[in-house]
Amino acid sequence: MMGDVAPRERRHYWLSLAALVVILPATVLASSWDSLMQWRANHYRIQISVERQAAQRYAGADWKLSELTRLPGGMPEESVVLVEFEAAVDDPAILSKSPCEVALTDEQGRIWKPVFLTEPIVRELHPEAAEKQGCSNFAFEGSSKGSRITMAETFTVPTAAENLALSVTVFGALPDYMLLK
Amino acid sequence: MMSRFREIAAVFLVAAILYGMQRTTPLYSEITSLVPAYGEQGKRIDARAFAFAVVNVHLARMVRTESFGRTQDFTTSGVWVLIEGAAEAKRESLTLTTANWLGPSGISYALSQRFSILPGLLPNQRLEPGLPKPVLLAFEVPESEVSGATLLVPRNYMTPLDEEIRMPVTNIDTNAIHAAITLKRSTVGLPWILETE
Amino acid sequence: MQQRSTLRQRLIAILVTGVGATAAAAISFGVTVYEAAHPRAVPVVPAGEPIDTGRWNITFQAAHSGPVPPTGVEPSESKKFVLVEFDATNLSAATGFVSPTLFTVDPPVPNLPAPVFYLARDKWIASGLNPSMPERMIAVWEWPQALALPETLRLTVGSQIYKRRDNLYGASSWFDRDPIAVVELPVSRDGAR
Repeated sequence: MMGDVAPRERRHYWLSLAALVVILPATVLASSWDSLMQWRANHYRIQISVERQAAQRYAGADWKLSELTRLPGGMPEESVVLVEFEAAVDDPAILSKSPCEVALTDEQGRIWKPVFLTEPIVRELHPEAAEKQGCSNFAFEGSSKGSRITMAETFTVPTAAENLALSVTVFGALPDYMLLK
Repeated sequence: MMSRFREIAAVFLVAAILYGMQRTTPLYSEITSLVPAYGEQGKRIDARAFAFAVVNVHLARMVRTESFGRTQDFTTSGVWVLIEGAAEAKRESLTLTTANWLGPSGISYALSQRFSILPGLLPNQRLEPGLPKPVLLAFEVPESEVSGATLLVPRNYMTPLDEEIRMPVTNIDTNAIHAAITLKRSTVGLPWILETE
Repeated sequence: MQQRSTLRQRLIAILVTGVGATAAAAISFGVTVYEAAHPRAVPVVPAGEPIDTGRWNITFQAAHSGPVPPTGVEPSESKKFVLVEFDATNLSAATGFVSPTLFTVDPPVPNLPAPVFYLARDKWIASGLNPSMPERMIAVWEWPQALALPETLRLTVGSQIYKRRDNLYGASSWFDRDPIAVVELPVSRDGAR
């Protein structure tokens, strides 16, 4: 069959086959480009590490972890951790619009999310902190340049967990997030 | 003549191959099914994101809940299966919102939501890394589906290719079906008190 | 000579496939038009008779209306409820919720919210129904205040089919199909409490 075909046609045939090697992966990449970018936006993070008592500029505010208190938990081996932090607002544009997520991490990379209901022991021992709100765009609603927002979140962690740090992610400031030690 | 025969044979061969491929294509649910982590009853079963263990399995014809001075009876046309266990998150805080009782017939029964306000029920228990928590699971199944079942605990039921604990329920006394089991709130130790009648 | 015959063969092949596809499209269109013009009569099923809808087996029992929902607690703000008692058996292989579109009021009542399903056993809002475990259910419509309570209720019961592979993803699931039955229930009035 191939014998009576002109050499030019044969060259075209092989060229086309070779082109497939490039074109097929390129098609896959092009059609999944949006998903890849979405995945990157969801997963790519740059950590800003902040030492204790230092203030850090992030998402239009200066952030500081003011107090990290360990309290006894409801079960043995369990601690309640109360974290109080504050942000001095410079530009409320991002903060008042985008959601904010906080979590407590330890040196093993474990992540504790805030508890829904404030633990009774926090109400008892630190009633002023129990009144404070968590980090969210509602906390920054109506804030203006120069206002200082104080926030608090409660976590339950094993007593053995060490080197706890608070991670703060403001979605409008991605891919950066802060780790307040 | 020979080449004509070969052509027809080739067409039939291709048709057979296509038919075979069509028949053996895995279902979408199989391609995106959960990754199982097998374990035994009474032992800690580890998945990547969480661990789970069954401590006790009780059977009853009726469940009575006592909560804030209010008593409610939950009858059933089958049998109540109450499972006391423990669960722990490993890397990140999470909540296990669902579980299934896979009967010997292949029919699956989801976690009962009929008395969903009781503390300690699996979907109500926030699991934290490093802190094992007691969990209570309730299923309502026909009597024929009690023995030979498998307990399935997925991390969540929305995400494909996520993980799921599969535990054959081997140790269950089908002759000891209690007339009633009472569940009460408790403030010390376990979040519930389970009494059999 | 060889070249010309291939050309003719190709032309015939193109012609045959073209005519075939056109015929298939025309037949399918014709069938659709014919079915739209001659809708199949939906049978009227009396109360108390089971209806196999595919995913469910349901038997309507009775309908009544009044100010009290199945919880037995009259809401502080006076409301009108239409309640339909029925038995339902889940015929599928997994726990499932009764869909609010399983049966609909016919003809449609404007501004009628979707019904809430109660489990008669608990006198409380039903969660999922387990396979092969029949339950008495109560469908509760909150009837618009502006409308008079109906004397009879005509319900159109839908049907479902199971597809092992759906046409979009090849996933297995249940799909709604044409109505399978019509039920007419007299609505008795609960005594004012």
